[in-house]
Amino acid sequence: MAVNWARSGSPWLIHFNTGGCNGCDIEFVAAITPVYDVERFGIKLQGSPRHADILAVTGPVTVQIAHSLKRVYDQMPSPKFVVALGTCAVSGAPFRNCYCVHGGVDSVIPVDAYVPGCPPKPEAMIDGIAKLLQKIRGTKG
Amino acid sequence: MVAYEIFQLVVFPGALFVICLAFLYEWVDRKLFARVQGRYGPLYTGPAGILQPVADFLKLLSKEDIVPRACDANLFFAVPVMYAALPLTALFIMPIAAPEALVSFEGDLIFILFSFGLMTLLIFLAGWSSMSRFSAIGSVRSALQMLSYEIPLGLVLVCPAIAARSLSVSGIVQWQAANATWGAALQPIGLAVVMVCMLAELELVPFDIPEAETEIVAGWRTEFTGRRLALFRMGRDLEIVLVSALVVSLYLGGAQQLWLVPAAAMFVIKTAAVVAVFSFARALFARFRIDQMIAGMWKYLLPIAVAQVVLVQMGLGA
Repeated sequence: MAVNWARSGSPWLIHFNTGGCNGCDIEFVAAITPVYDVERFGIKLQGSPRHADILAVTGPVTVQIAHSLKRVYDQMPSPKFVVALGTCAVSGAPFRNCYCVHGGVDSVIPVDAYVPGCPPKPEAMIDGIAKLLQKIRGTKG
Repeated sequence: MVAYEIFQLVVFPGALFVICLAFLYEWVDRKLFARVQGRYGPLYTGPAGILQPVADFLKLLSKEDIVPRACDANLFFAVPVMYAALPLTALFIMPIAAPEALVSFEGDLIFILFSFGLMTLLIFLAGWSSMSRFSAIGSVRSALQMLSYEIPLGLVLVCPAIAARSLSVSGIVQWQAANATWGAALQPIGLAVVMVCMLAELELVPFDIPEAETEIVAGWRTEFTGRRLALFRMGRDLEIVLVSALVVSLYLGGAQQLWLVPAAAMFVIKTAAVVAVFSFARALFARFRIDQMIAGMWKYLLPIAVAQVVLVQMGLGA
């Protein structure tokens, strides 16, 4: 109970681009600016995967970067969660079945929340993460 | 009587009070930092987000504990515990609830200076033992930084001791109380130098070179996870309390009763003001490069510190 409260109250993010066009990255960076103030939820952006709880992935997973994504995921201490930001990260979108694309993020590592959009607005990203936090707290299936 | 002494050591003004104060000041720091940037800061964890540091601490305690295969296991296990224990030990020397500290002896100011040096040494060992290239760069930067700020800091901290003819923190507080004055009024240059050096000691923003996130991931604590990281964060918070307590004791009159306000409340108000200065500095400045920092400390801060010692020896501000 207290542990779930602590986990949902202090989610630390790490951002990983798996080969996207940087559209989602710009929106993600916008989402952590003072205008949206995600520190209200206790969200902090961390540099090291060792410190992070939530891996925020943008972009379609290319064949070349798939093993790096897996490795960053493995470096994070559990319990760890993954948020796929943008349609490319959700499914691979227009690049699905391309010779160099592995697929969506869930073709490499398990994903806990999907935020579709090309790119999703910062509000949508924060909403997706807030819904994941509700899931961690156990108030919503 | 023995029960009261144990209560003093464990609860108030001992370990428990100081740890609560450490968590409170992390919240104060984050809130003020957010307000300067025009945001709210932590808001939903407890009333106005006041439980945010507690949530961070509990979460880190409950996380997986990863030990890299290449690390020096003994050091890797020992350093976080020592890093949290050292400032907690040093805080017993600080007068918190009365002008007389729980532990005080002639020369405890030197012990405080020594513990600051030891903290940096522990940081160096932490980065070195984790065998990561980012940690190694961070720890070497931390040691370089210490070589430049320790000397002006040591010189300037001697000045209140010269003025009060006492090398004990409690003695300096009692001297200020007896003469109805503040160290800051007598030695304003010294106070300024100490504040700059303490920003470097705490690795706060103008001098957060050892953990520069944009350059070297998380610096010396890159490889630490779970409860080791929690201990490092708590050690840092306790160090902020220790540093602000030292500044308050030497320069701002320390824990003295003011009319009906008890000494402990005055201590909390004054240390919170010092923490506020730190978080404003953190919000207003950008990071220096390591060479700029070292050159600046040796070229400008050291002569100013020497000037302060000379002024005190000439009888000004003593």
